[in-house]
Amino acid sequence: MMHDDDRFNKWLQETAKGYHDPRPTPRDEMWARIAAERQRRAARVIELRPWLRWTLAAAALLVLGVGIGRWTALQDRGLGDGTPVAASDTGGRGLLYRVAATQYLSRTEAFLTGFRADLRAGRADARFTGQARDLLTTTRLLLDSPAADDPRLRALLEDLELVLVQISQLPAGRDPHDTDLITQGMDQRSVLPKLRSAIPAGPVPVRTEGVL
Amino acid sequence: MDERDLINRVRAGDGTAERALYDAHVDRVYRLAYRLAGDDVLAQDFTQETFIRAFARLDTFRGDSALSTWLHAITTTVVLNGLRKVKRFRQREADLEAADGVSGGRREAEPDLKARLTRAIDALPQGYRTVFVMHDVEGYTHEEIGAALGVETGTSKAQLSRARAKLREALADFAGEWVS
Repeated sequence: MMHDDDRFNKWLQETAKGYHDPRPTPRDEMWARIAAERQRRAARVIELRPWLRWTLAAAALLVLGVGIGRWTALQDRGLGDGTPVAASDTGGRGLLYRVAATQYLSRTEAFLTGFRADLRAGRADARFTGQARDLLTTTRLLLDSPAADDPRLRALLEDLELVLVQISQLPAGRDPHDTDLITQGMDQRSVLPKLRSAIPAGPVPVRTEGVL
Repeated sequence: MDERDLINRVRAGDGTAERALYDAHVDRVYRLAYRLAGDDVLAQDFTQETFIRAFARLDTFRGDSALSTWLHAITTTVVLNGLRKVKRFRQREADLEAADGVSGGRREAEPDLKARLTRAIDALPQGYRTVFVMHDVEGYTHEEIGAALGVETGTSKAQLSRARAKLREALADFAGEWVS
């Protein structure tokens, strides 16, 4: 004689076959989308490489700038004129910081514009967190450099630091609420308009003349 | 064609072999995704993501288990993570609706047995529901479930038993259906 539990289990297995009963597999439809998505992701990996090169170049430029700055400061102290390091900006040092700052601001503008556009299209993915971390490193280097002596640039760098920290810490399984908070913060502090107004018009080599 | 040969050809970048591998496994992947998601759009998204990840990581497949086991492990990870996100999003929407006072109020009890069963399965804790769907609905063995979910076979059996007990409790009104 069949036990009550067994009867229930047998009945359950039969009845549950209709639970979320799938339609025939849309093979070709899905295959086409898989192929397209794989191509898109492969293209994005290639896209990342120039970003990485830019980051390394900017970081190297900053390190060079800081090195020259320290060397110049030591020279100044050696001469014994008592001028503070921040105020003893020579032409060479100033130009290096300006080049680095302009390159950084241009890249950050491109990054944040792309981030917002992709968010709107529902495409923001993990590559943004990696890029935000790279830019964050450069932001902090700039904040610690004489470039941040300019109060306007310092305020902008601090705003950007906050935004980049938020993007770099976005969880992998984020939901739209996480990203909404970031874009709302950017809008409230007018980060993008301030950023754009801080970048002189013209291509990058021209922008370095008279930046900020 | 032998599965190992197929895998080697996919690793070598053979597009025909990729399609053959996809054709060999897509039905079970899609069915499982659909059963767990209960939504065609989500099921298609999860199936696509499963194969994209599988092709990207095929070099890491060592062949210790069957390819289907490895693929189902990816499927369950993709589906369960995806469903967590969807649940969080829907919960937030529901909270907003409740705050706005636009929710439709408490629904009437569903008198239809199949609808009640569906709701009872949906209401199971995620772990129980996954094991129940894989075993009782899709016919996976406990060994396959254990390998896909990364749990012991005994855990799979225990979760199935608890899932069934919860369903029996939820469907107590319909006891006559299985006693007769």
